[in-house]
Amino acid sequence: MSAEKGEVIISVKDLKKHYGGGDIKALDGITTDIHKGEVVVVIGPSGSGKSTFLRSLNLLERPTSGTISFHGTDITSKATDINKLRQKMGMVFQHFNLFPHLTIMKNMTLGPTKLLGLSKAEAEKKAQALLERVGLGDRANSYPSQLSGGQKQRIAIVRALAMDPEVMLFDEPTSALDPEMVGEVLEVMKQLAKAGMTMVCVTHEMGFAREVGTRVIFMDCGRIIEENTPEQIFTNPQNERLVSFLQKVL
Amino acid sequence: MTTMLSSAYAFAVTLAGEAAEQPSSGWFGNLWNALKDDFVNNFITQKRYMYLLKGLGITFEVTFFAALLGIFLGVIVALVRSSHDKLAEEMRPGFLKGLLGFFNFLANLYLTIIRGTPVVVQLMIAYFIIFATSNNKVLVAILAFGINSGAYVAEIIRSGIMSIDVGQFEAGRSLGFGYIATMVHIIIPQAIKNVLPALANEFIVLIKETSVSGYVGLQDLTKGGDIIRSRTYSAFMPLIAVALIYLVIVIFFSKLVTLLERRLRNSER
Repeated sequence: MSAEKGEVIISVKDLKKHYGGGDIKALDGITTDIHKGEVVVVIGPSGSGKSTFLRSLNLLERPTSGTISFHGTDITSKATDINKLRQKMGMVFQHFNLFPHLTIMKNMTLGPTKLLGLSKAEAEKKAQALLERVGLGDRANSYPSQLSGGQKQRIAIVRALAMDPEVMLFDEPTSALDPEMVGEVLEVMKQLAKAGMTMVCVTHEMGFAREVGTRVIFMDCGRIIEENTPEQIFTNPQNERLVSFLQKVL
Repeated sequence: MTTMLSSAYAFAVTLAGEAAEQPSSGWFGNLWNALKDDFVNNFITQKRYMYLLKGLGITFEVTFFAALLGIFLGVIVALVRSSHDKLAEEMRPGFLKGLLGFFNFLANLYLTIIRGTPVVVQLMIAYFIIFATSNNKVLVAILAFGINSGAYVAEIIRSGIMSIDVGQFEAGRSLGFGYIATMVHIIIPQAIKNVLPALANEFIVLIKETSVSGYVGLQDLTKGGDIIRSRTYSAFMPLIAVALIYLVIVIFFSKLVTLLERRLRNSER
């Protein structure tokens, strides 16, 4: 693991998520810390609980037990204003989830104007700058249905960034894309990582994990089986389940 | 064409009896004169057209405000019902959950009663029982039709809310919007758009439903035509006129909705 680590942003302790009265254990005791500036890549076979884990971090999934702290505040507590905390955790979904009834500009300014109290002009200026950054400066007045999948996902990323989040959560951001569009989205994510954004990313893109990740978590059956630097994970896997998983995907 | 005209002639003859007695001046002239006399007698004499005009005004007034009330009630009931469906399972037991459950019960009761009884009966109950002391027939009709329409609008809007992908909801929440803000800014606008044809249809149904206003003595368009009929003892002209007016209104609103739908569709492409 990298030598110098930032402060802990998210701390997860013994996180469990059970369905059907405990018969199905989507998460079976996850404990880990997310530090500032880290790019944590979560890999694992489907059904291993990696998406559930990611979605628990901003409470889209309510855990059965365990705690998640954000800067020391227990977000599962009743007293916590989860809406305030979610503003600091941007999320990007597999299926983009852009708002189809709004233009790209409105998609990006809705949150900042309604939640952060920015004026329309401020929010639009910021949104335009973000759009330029991902090469979509000319699409501000388009509607989502006029964009390709890769473009939609880049918009989804900057829509989340417009809220000035401290950490970005990616839930299989390239899984719904045509192969030729995966690159453009990964490129944006790479830029973001280079700029020092803290990221947690569930993905099947091993190349991305290897190149950009600072830490890789391998999950199976709702548990963290192995976590290490990408180098160690890919060149020197310890657990046999990780070995067989890597054999299949690489 | 000739057969059509002659059958129309026969029809007119039976309605306007006198015309049949002077076949000498040509069948078309007779038909024309009979219809003209009938028209003058029903609409022009004593300014009887005013019954239709004033009635039309009442029909519009009642429909318009009842539709507003219906949409207001419908959105609220739809929100209560869909929120209950969506949230009840994951809510912590407590005051809020109990409150939502209570409102959901009220909403279901409302839907069951309103959709389970005829609108005429509801109107009469409103006028003769609930608001028996009120003499404002228009207001009572607005309330009765609005409350009735609300039940149907509620189910239309609820189906619209249910049709929105859960990802939209999650996207709103993940940006930091609360449940209600997500509904207001993200879900409801899309839901309304999806159900616009159904809502417009409900509005058109409402226009026609107000025709039973005569049951409480409110002189709407239908009642206006009926009053003319009772004065002139001639049914053809006033009733066909009333029917034509409804038809024109309904066609007008249907076209308007088609235009609106096309504009909304264009805005996304």
